[in-house]
Amino acid sequence: METERLIEQLVGGLTPVHRIARPVTRLAWWLLISLPAAGLVVWFFGPRPDLAARLADRSFLIEEGAALLTAFVGIYAALCAGLPDQPDWKVWLPMAPMALWFGVLGQQCLDVFLRLGPGGLQVTSDAMCLPAIALGGLVPAIAITVMLRRSGKVRTTHACLCGALGAAALGAAALRLYHTEDAAIMVIVWQLGSVVLFSLLAGAIARLFADTRPDSISRTRL
Amino acid sequence: MAVEDPRWQEWMRAAQQGDRVLYGALLAAVIQPLRRAARARWPQADASALEDVVQETLLGLHTSLHLYDPARPFMPFLYGIMRFRGGDAMRRSRRAGARETPIDDVPETSDALTTQSDQHKGLEAGALLAAIARLPDGQRRAIEMTKMQGLSLEEASTTSGMSVAALKVATHRGIQALRKLLHGAV
Repeated sequence: METERLIEQLVGGLTPVHRIARPVTRLAWWLLISLPAAGLVVWFFGPRPDLAARLADRSFLIEEGAALLTAFVGIYAALCAGLPDQPDWKVWLPMAPMALWFGVLGQQCLDVFLRLGPGGLQVTSDAMCLPAIALGGLVPAIAITVMLRRSGKVRTTHACLCGALGAAALGAAALRLYHTEDAAIMVIVWQLGSVVLFSLLAGAIARLFADTRPDSISRTRL
Repeated sequence: MAVEDPRWQEWMRAAQQGDRVLYGALLAAVIQPLRRAARARWPQADASALEDVVQETLLGLHTSLHLYDPARPFMPFLYGIMRFRGGDAMRRSRRAGARETPIDDVPETSDALTTQSDQHKGLEAGALLAAIARLPDGQRRAIEMTKMQGLSLEEASTTSGMSVAALKVATHRGIQALRKLLHGAV
């Protein structure tokens, strides 16, 4: 097909469009939906008995702050990834708070190792984490999926990866408020592990999340 | 990067509101900068592949109109689409180039078109036609229209009365079935 003929078709098929909001605005909508949903999960399971004491602990606050920051920045990056004119560095932005999150927990592991030796870093089964994070991240994940379906068909895998990271990180942050598992190695393996697992899964099936409706006009070749 | 005409942001805003005249003017205005940018980005590509990139970019722009923020410059948006959609087009073009031979390059007096390998191709074509004939009616019609007659999805949809989505599904399933049939025949 000649380019001039394609332009004629595109112009003929033009209909008014509803402009998408900026990423920051869409992030605010996501927070408006997701924070109450995560709060409901905490309320449903009941806050942990020592929550007041934990909230006075600086390292717990930094860890929770890093998890929440990973969630917010992850969602922002997912929303930016679908816009063609957004720079690539924004897509990698969630790596910073995630590194902080890993770093805080790694530091705690190191402290335990220095005090108790290898025996202090034993990993036992904590089957609750995976489903609990999935439950806490369910509504946030649905919300970002709906939002991403209006995004562009660019950097789809990155968008899904970052979106899932954000939703799962929020689920993990909520989990820390009602689940009394504080051993850093357990948090790394089960909670951060679940977050990474969900993110990679979403990245792997990214094409299912993307809007697969055909373009209203296509070129001659299928 | 080409200098952006300050009117293009305004034309994009108008296009978002459905103004076909300004949309047409915008698309016509960006063709040359797009061709230059595509040539600069993929200097090894031939003219046909570069035109594919330009067309893919225009299609990408059409489906991304709602993503543009008129407060931001237009050309980075357009070049961003070219980078992603054009990149896909170039990959497709390279894959096709690896398995296709342009017959324009073969001299008319050459006997290259009557080689043994082409006789094999003739036999394969016969097997393919026989396999197509064994497909279910819907799949067979979809393959015939979109792959053999070269109709666009819209044209095939108008001719057959099937929706574009149904045609895509039928074609995909038809190709899958053909693979199985031909593989079984080997």
